[in-house]
Amino acid sequence: MTLPALGTRPAPRRRTARASRGRRLAGLLFLLPLFTVNILVIAGPAVMSVFYSFTDWDGLNAPGFVGLDNYVRLAGDDSFRTALRNNLLWTVFFLTVPMGMGLLGAYLLTRIRRGQLLFRLLFFVPYVVATVVSASIWRQLLNPSVGIGGVLGDFGVPWAADINALGDGDLALGAIALINNWQWWGFLMLLFLAAMRSVDPSLYEAARLDGAGRWREFWHITLPGIRPTFVFLFLMTIIWSFLVFDYVYILTQGGPGGATEVLSTLLYRSAFTEQQAGYGSAIGVVLALISATAVTGYLVLRRRAGWDV
Amino acid sequence: MSHQLSRRSLLHGGAVLAGASLLGGCGGAGSGADVSYWAAFPSKPTEKYFREHYVDAFNKTSDSAQVSMSVKQLTNLAQLTDTAVSAGRAPDIVYSPGPSAVAGYAKSFKIRELGDYASDFKWKDALLPWAYQLSQVDNKIFSVPTSYGSMVLYYNPATFEKYGWEPPTTKQEFEDLCADAKSEGLIPVGAGNSGYKAQTEWYLTAFLNMAVGPNRLYEVLTSSRDFDDEAIVDAVSLMKSQMDKGWWGGGTKDYFTTTDPDVLTGLAKGDVAMYISGTWSFGSIATFFGKDAGNDADWDWAPLPSLSSDVDPGVFPLAIGTSLALSADEKKGDGAVAFLDFLINDPGRALGYLAATGENPPPIKVESGDFPDDTDKRSERLYNAIPKSTNLGYTSWTFLPPRSNSFFYEEFDKVITGDLPPKEYCSGLAGQFTQETGEGVVPNAFTPEAD
Repeated sequence: MTLPALGTRPAPRRRTARASRGRRLAGLLFLLPLFTVNILVIAGPAVMSVFYSFTDWDGLNAPGFVGLDNYVRLAGDDSFRTALRNNLLWTVFFLTVPMGMGLLGAYLLTRIRRGQLLFRLLFFVPYVVATVVSASIWRQLLNPSVGIGGVLGDFGVPWAADINALGDGDLALGAIALINNWQWWGFLMLLFLAAMRSVDPSLYEAARLDGAGRWREFWHITLPGIRPTFVFLFLMTIIWSFLVFDYVYILTQGGPGGATEVLSTLLYRSAFTEQQAGYGSAIGVVLALISATAVTGYLVLRRRAGWDV
Repeated sequence: MSHQLSRRSLLHGGAVLAGASLLGGCGGAGSGADVSYWAAFPSKPTEKYFREHYVDAFNKTSDSAQVSMSVKQLTNLAQLTDTAVSAGRAPDIVYSPGPSAVAGYAKSFKIRELGDYASDFKWKDALLPWAYQLSQVDNKIFSVPTSYGSMVLYYNPATFEKYGWEPPTTKQEFEDLCADAKSEGLIPVGAGNSGYKAQTEWYLTAFLNMAVGPNRLYEVLTSSRDFDDEAIVDAVSLMKSQMDKGWWGGGTKDYFTTTDPDVLTGLAKGDVAMYISGTWSFGSIATFFGKDAGNDADWDWAPLPSLSSDVDPGVFPLAIGTSLALSADEKKGDGAVAFLDFLINDPGRALGYLAATGENPPPIKVESGDFPDDTDKRSERLYNAIPKSTNLGYTSWTFLPPRSNSFFYEEFDKVITGDLPPKEYCSGLAGQFTQETGEGVVPNAFTPEAD
């Protein structure tokens, strides 16, 4: 047996190590532009927002440090409390109605063969309509004079013409949520459908052989099978619900009388209309903390329960 | 939706509007132009007219500077300017939607004082006295007002003739007309804030001028009386009671889903009896009346009625839609100021713009004979009447500082919905105003001449 001469074998290892370092360096170089952009447009402004939240910055003059004043003011601000409550209601709605509709729609679509593509298209189309367009359409539809209520009123349903969903403080937030849901649930349905298709069909066959019904199939096979998607969308729904802005701003701008005010519209008003950028930053920090709490909760679940995305 | 322009947008878009140039390095001075200027217009013909008769005309005659105008959206010009000013990248000529914003810029040293230029160009002689006073911050002139208007009562003469009405001048006449219109199935006073929340301040500001009057409002604006004064609380309560009767916008719920175009359409169709709004609509109202709108309806305006025995009828609440200033970083002072002067120094040019586009002119002294023959007679009547009137009032967006102004309309919506009692609303407004008075950002209100 001939042993290799000393110093002859390590050469390829050194080449491998060099190649590995080169690959890592190349990877880092590729990441650098994105990292730079991230620092400039996300991390930088985020840090600045935290800083400004402790100041009385008006957007023009040099900011003055005010400590926790903005946060103390938030605690006693009726508009903030209303906005936070509305965001919570919004979150509950979007965690139940569109998620439920998306799950049900996707599950039912997995049961049909013919026409599935047509239904998928029909349910998804609202998602690609520009928000401002769908909001304008719905504003007309809900107009008590020329919308659905007005037409029903003409056809002998007089009470329908008295419903002014966007003008009534008790109904406005729900009306906006329903309009937003009209656009949103089809998107969720499509994601759930894709997840359901990846569930092993043999599980359903086995369940049927064991005499399981549709509900048991759904509960014991489908839901666990799509759990990563479900948990991810659950988490994102919480985050998105606290960032909602467009439909509220377009349809009511937080009215009537603050009935549909949410944190992002309040932030916008504080920072850009009332020139209280420091106070607006504090609202932004609270929004970020809420999102961070949701993400942390998810990470804890993932670690403790072994859930994965 | 194309007509759903905000009051500010319309007023800003009026007349001379704001300045151009691209954000800092994106253009403006960097692109070779001497003076950068951002502007916004309500229509392409108006923009074309302005460019030809102001920008191009100035550039042809000027040796000291060439103006480069960049056109922005009406709806966000103020915010674009705010951002650019804050970032230190403002155009050379800085747009403001009136004196309230100018005060903020001046206090933060973002714009230059124009005192010497004002003397050289004799702006005190050219501008109406109240407008000159309003352009000052701490007794120093910082801006030039380039468009002004008032709140007036719009009506459809055919509708009034049909029901035998006359434009009301007193509280009794106003209330009788509202009750009559309501019983005839009309909306007595068109109103709504859908699409533009701040529209609420149009109505409230007009109401306070009608019910409280310029003298008391002046006392409030100069802090010798508070916003929670009994007269103000009573006026707010009166307006709330009229809204509850469905006189304004057809009722509370409809109010929040009615737009400005909805009201003007209703006025043209005879569904709305009156509309209290700003003269910024002079430039766009033809869209709803007459040939352009495909109907034979017509419109006219009347001065606001009095809603109190203490207030003379016919008050004109004044508003400045656009004020222009010079950026603190601007380097071509003489040339840039020459352009500002060009915008206001020639009554013939300003009134020609009014005649051609309907846009509000700058608040300058004019004679009856200065109006071109093709001027709309309703516009001519207004701009002849205001300079002669001693009954001049105050609009919230021109005379209130930013936070008080926001409170003024945001919280009044809660009064309308019944969530905030008038007394509490007025107390909150008083607190906000006192705070901003302490900060020195309250615009310089002119002294009223009314008895």
